[in-house]
Amino acid sequence: MDNSAYPMFTRRSLMLSSAMLAGGAALGGLSKGAAAQVKDMDMWYWGEQELPGLQKYVNDSVAKYKAATVKPMLQDTAVVISQFQTAAAAGNAPDVQYLWNGIYHMESVWLGYLRGLKSLIKPDILAASNPTMLSHFGGDIYRTGWYPLPMFWCYNKTLFEKAGLDPEAPPKTWDELLVACDKLKSSGVEALGGGIQDGYWSEWYITHSLPQQLDSLGEAVELFIGDKDFNDPKYHEHWVKLAELKTKGFLNKDMSSLELYPGIDLVVAGKLGIGQTIGTRLPADSKATGGKIGYMTMPVFGKGKLAATPVVDVQGLGISTNAEDAAAAAAFLEFLQSPEQLKAFWEATNWLPSNTTFDSSVIQDASVRGLWENWGLKSNISNVTNLMPGQFYERAAIPTGQQIVAGSMTGEQAGELAAKTAKEWKDFNPDMVENYRKWVKDLSSPT
Amino acid sequence: MTPPSRLTPYLYVLPLVALLAFVFGYPLLRIFEFSFKMVRGIDGPWIGLRNYQLVLGQSLFWESVLHNLQLLLAIPVMVGISLIVSVLLSERVAGWKLYRIIVFVPFVLAIPIVAVVMKRMFQFSGPVNEMLRWMSLDFMALDWIGSSDVALWTVMILIIWRESALGIILFLARLLSLDESVIEAAKIDGANWWHRLWHIILPEMRGVIEFYVVVSVITMLAAVFSYIYIMGGGRGGPGTSTEVVELYIFNALIRSSLPGIASAASVMLFLVTGVLIFLLFRVRRRAEAT
Repeated sequence: MDNSAYPMFTRRSLMLSSAMLAGGAALGGLSKGAAAQVKDMDMWYWGEQELPGLQKYVNDSVAKYKAATVKPMLQDTAVVISQFQTAAAAGNAPDVQYLWNGIYHMESVWLGYLRGLKSLIKPDILAASNPTMLSHFGGDIYRTGWYPLPMFWCYNKTLFEKAGLDPEAPPKTWDELLVACDKLKSSGVEALGGGIQDGYWSEWYITHSLPQQLDSLGEAVELFIGDKDFNDPKYHEHWVKLAELKTKGFLNKDMSSLELYPGIDLVVAGKLGIGQTIGTRLPADSKATGGKIGYMTMPVFGKGKLAATPVVDVQGLGISTNAEDAAAAAAFLEFLQSPEQLKAFWEATNWLPSNTTFDSSVIQDASVRGLWENWGLKSNISNVTNLMPGQFYERAAIPTGQQIVAGSMTGEQAGELAAKTAKEWKDFNPDMVENYRKWVKDLSSPT
Repeated sequence: MTPPSRLTPYLYVLPLVALLAFVFGYPLLRIFEFSFKMVRGIDGPWIGLRNYQLVLGQSLFWESVLHNLQLLLAIPVMVGISLIVSVLLSERVAGWKLYRIIVFVPFVLAIPIVAVVMKRMFQFSGPVNEMLRWMSLDFMALDWIGSSDVALWTVMILIIWRESALGIILFLARLLSLDESVIEAAKIDGANWWHRLWHIILPEMRGVIEFYVVVSVITMLAAVFSYIYIMGGGRGGPGTSTEVVELYIFNALIRSSLPGIASAASVMLFLVTGVLIFLLFRVRRRAEAT
């Protein structure tokens, strides 16, 4: 055999190579040990999709943060929950995780994937971030608030003027709303609505209308899991009211075939009098109309304690139980709530951070400032639909609104479907019922 | 030299078989396993046939099955359209090669793209209704995607439009491979166009038509998710009027966090589809034999 093509590899050189490799490995270990003094953390988040500029803000923030190396990863909408839960079950969850409100993170709490934050984050910082009641469970809190999503009814002031309505005094009661709709219709514009084809309008309608008959958010949970009955007229009155709007011809004719955002665009374009919208749209919509988009709480028909209370949903961040150094993760969350970071958030996203200490003097737009002062700083409730089990949301909350608007269901029938779905949920999820009942206790404390 | 063992060829293919078993077989086994469990997160306790009972006892599941069955009504229309267009193209009219490309375009386009475009067209204030109103056909200007009574039929129109393209190409390929001397002989014997179609062309195409029908049945039962997802606003709406079994599974898994329920429905869909695939192979074998 001719070995000339092969380099000489003696036992000596083998030992030398081995020694060098071992030395290299040891040095590598040392350097890794040295690097471990600056902690490595993972942060999975979502939000660029609804708040352009958030990704830049996150990247800038982690670059600025020196106490740890934070590796951010923007998640796809479809996997925000499943990706986290799968990783957590395998023991590989990120240290910091983006969390939607309510059941969208509470299920992870019940599965033991999230840490309570009361012992990790300073109480004043945690409270100022407004994690909302929906993050409370078993006496602990599982998220810090990150950015708020005020939800409200919007209206076109120009169309109000044209219809002889006072644009600065939107309707406050249901009867006033019917009068306003009648006047708008008489002036030749479609009075109220938007787009319900993708279902979200249906959800938002419940967000604003169901609490009108409730005394606490816990009562809503009791409805969704079947401990209270949607067949009770007061619990399906909101659907009866929607059917009334349909019967009176106040809803826009193409509502069933339009999606949510094109529906809101109709209000901005001056083709629809009143609609439902969300705070993050307000700066652009206000600018596009020269400040002619007004906002209001849903006109009142109910007698519950929560009626006429502004709705503010809040997106948040939490710490996984897989986090090796929970204190370090908590320090990073506190850093995000510092005054400098709140200002940086506003500059990057042109939207509000969720913190009651935010210096709102930077807000130029009067509508946005008013929204922050009236929705963000005053008494508010969170989005009640975030308390719904997914099954109820898909089988009852969305289809009922769509079918009422399409004219193929009455308010009473909607109540029947909701009651049936709540019972069905219990059959499908017997192991979840007790968790929800415990949650009711947290949610029934004064809001 | 020792002759290779009879097992040797199997050893060569073993790595690939093992890979395929892992990629396809393992998930399938897990789905079967999950269908007997109340899964939370990535596992859960054994509950026997409870998931199957719950699925089969839910009216929404049967509504979804009914919608899948309703979609089967599209198949005769697809076969008819495909036959007519392919026979016309096979006559080699001027520009037939260009027409052939044009009719196949819908099948090349991704379903989400055509569905989004169709959805815009069929909106209540969209181009289709605008055109109908312009033609003074207001009574035909329906709420195509917003009405519970009409939405599934609208989806069906889209499916027919796109899936017929496959039928046309399949049928045309078969037509172009027919022995032309037989058709010429029939012409000389005085057979008119209809006689040639009925007595020569259709019998010759029987195998490919059967193949297309079976493939279409499988499509209608287990491969319409993309159409429904986009046309039905991501939810099988309005209400549940366009919900099909695939969407039922998707909702159970992703939106209701019920992997056990989703698995039970998946197993049932898999078994039904498996039977249809078995039938497909039998049809093909028979077609090859004739």
